[in-house]
Amino acid sequence: MSAAVPLSTPRSSLVRRRIGWTVAAVAALLVAVLLSLAVGARPVAPGHVLDALLHGGEGKYAMDTAVVREMRLPRTLVGLMVGAGLALAGTALQGITRNPIADPGILGISHGAAVGVVLAIMLAGVESLTGYVWWAFGGAALASVAVYAIASRGRGGASPVKLALAGAAINALLVSLTTAVLTTQASVLDKFRFWQVGSLSASDTGLAGRIWPFLLVGAVLVLSVARGLDALALGEDVAKGLGQNVAAVRITGGLGATVLTGAGVAAAGPIAFVGLAVPHIARALVGGDHRWLLPMSALLGPVVLLAADTAGRVFFPPGEVPAGVMTALIGVPFLVALVRRKRVAAV
Amino acid sequence: MSTPVRGAGTAVRERGTAARPAGYALVRAGRGSFLVHRRGTAVAAGLIVLLAAACLAYLCIGKTYAAPGEVLKVLLGEPSREEVTVGTLRLPRMTVGLLVGLAFGAGGALIQTVARNPLASPDVIGITQGASALTVGAMTFGLTSYAALPYVSVAGGLLAAALVYVFAWRGGLQATRFVLIGIGFAVALRSVTHLFMTKGDYLVAQRAQVWMTGSLNGPGWDEAAPLAWALLALAPFLCWAARAQRTVTMDDDTATALGVRLNRVRGGLVLLGVVLASIATGAAGPVDFVALLAPQLARRMTRTAQIPLLSSALTGAVIVVVADLLGRKLLEPTQLPVGVLTAAVGAPYLIWLIIKGHSTRNTGGTA
Repeated sequence: MSAAVPLSTPRSSLVRRRIGWTVAAVAALLVAVLLSLAVGARPVAPGHVLDALLHGGEGKYAMDTAVVREMRLPRTLVGLMVGAGLALAGTALQGITRNPIADPGILGISHGAAVGVVLAIMLAGVESLTGYVWWAFGGAALASVAVYAIASRGRGGASPVKLALAGAAINALLVSLTTAVLTTQASVLDKFRFWQVGSLSASDTGLAGRIWPFLLVGAVLVLSVARGLDALALGEDVAKGLGQNVAAVRITGGLGATVLTGAGVAAAGPIAFVGLAVPHIARALVGGDHRWLLPMSALLGPVVLLAADTAGRVFFPPGEVPAGVMTALIGVPFLVALVRRKRVAAV
Repeated sequence: MSTPVRGAGTAVRERGTAARPAGYALVRAGRGSFLVHRRGTAVAAGLIVLLAAACLAYLCIGKTYAAPGEVLKVLLGEPSREEVTVGTLRLPRMTVGLLVGLAFGAGGALIQTVARNPLASPDVIGITQGASALTVGAMTFGLTSYAALPYVSVAGGLLAAALVYVFAWRGGLQATRFVLIGIGFAVALRSVTHLFMTKGDYLVAQRAQVWMTGSLNGPGWDEAAPLAWALLALAPFLCWAARAQRTVTMDDDTATALGVRLNRVRGGLVLLGVVLASIATGAAGPVDFVALLAPQLARRMTRTAQIPLLSSALTGAVIVVVADLLGRKLLEPTQLPVGVLTAAVGAPYLIWLIIKGHSTRNTGGTA
């Protein structure tokens, strides 16, 4: 991982810079939330958004209030949570695997969770999110273990190429499994085709209330190993020498990432590339210290996801571009830039 | 390699007179003579027999069983009571599967030969995804004629290949970078395809979904004919490719010293491979992993250093025909799309390749 901390910089100026960027990220998040509440098929003036949220407008603003409170607020809340969750998951995965292209989408973990959800709905007849979120965890955990096990076998260990390829293979296998289930039950296809893209548009009022406990657990797990991830960034042997229990760090962090991805996918479908791009932006801003990096990612993740979702509402009116497509389109240039840097391809 | 050999069975064989590469036989026909790879020829012949058997089984087995004798009658154009089931329903579908398999097998063989890496197969690096994205887009925005779809697919495949190539080029083409960027593009293009699917109305989406997993359910002669013509038009290029393939398998210095314009030959082979894979995608959707699997299986059978073009194409055809037959029968009355089955076989094979560790090698050997 690139430790972007210049050694000559005095400590105080580094802290100042980190605080400055964190404040800026909070401001960006507020703007993203405001835009997500205001922009759409029925634009609401930013001034009225606050009004609608706090007091509920009367008369000609009654419609605005309904739109903001009942349609855009739940969506924005889910976007906030899922964005933060995926970004944290990506950061943790990149730290655990010491691999700059680790992302729940590329590694097939999101798809594992998606398959879990499909199986839960179709085979076990589970309908509620609190029911199938466990299936999502199961699928995500299986996929992540499988991908890492495959990639770390053979010569050279888990290099970026092998991880990405293992992810692609697992993805293909899972897609084929999903399709096999879906073709036998055609009625579900119509619902599933929107969900599989990854979208916030189906969020209802209760969704945010149901997923937050899972995301909180995941976030706590990931944050608790921040120091361990720092040590791991120096290499496995150094981390051991520094007294870190490497296996415990990997397992705790991996568990956290799995829970975050599973809950995110259960809520919004497999949204790719948020977990890839955000950690790199965050690292460029606050450096490689995970105690700063993880919170920064959690702030920037929702900014990216909400911006993608909001942009998707504006692009092709009257329809919407699902957030998952937008993040993929934003994410690919990132991946290309990362891979073109010599260091990554050579790993 | 084995392409120019068929029909030379009556020729005189001479053994042991001149120095020639091990495993090759000299075939003289009149004043011309060829070197023939014995095992390669035998494998190709065996594959043809296998393919014929698979096709016959395909035509016989279905919701109702048709006796092989009746099937042969239909094929020969004689009146038969199985005329409708076999002649109108199964035969066109089988033809499409056969041609698609041939195209995927040959396209995969060419691309893998140039990349010297099995992982650079068109379904891993985004070429089939590009073809599907543009095709589904065209479907969504009202293009319904089957005759036009192959051209759209080819355009999509070429576009995706060009994009991956341009972005992976950095003073040279490194295999790992190429594969990584290809995977990234594959993911993005897949989500673009999903986007188009959500744009269209329900019926278009369903048709696109079925098409997307690679399905042979539905095609009739209207779809088979343009595919057959396209492949026929490419046949002369394939004959060139079978010979040119040999030169790019050599290491760069040797090939250059022998006067081969390496970059042109490579470019031509890749172009042909991409066009073949895209045509097949346009006809049946992305039938996953046939292009990865077929050349590798064929090479293991012939035990040559070079990926055999003809045997790869035949292997591809056998895979698709058998997979579609299984897909029709396995969960009757539901028909599984053929892409589901090929992915179920191909993905574990890809995993095995990764574990074996060929993936991180950039050069050396064809593996």
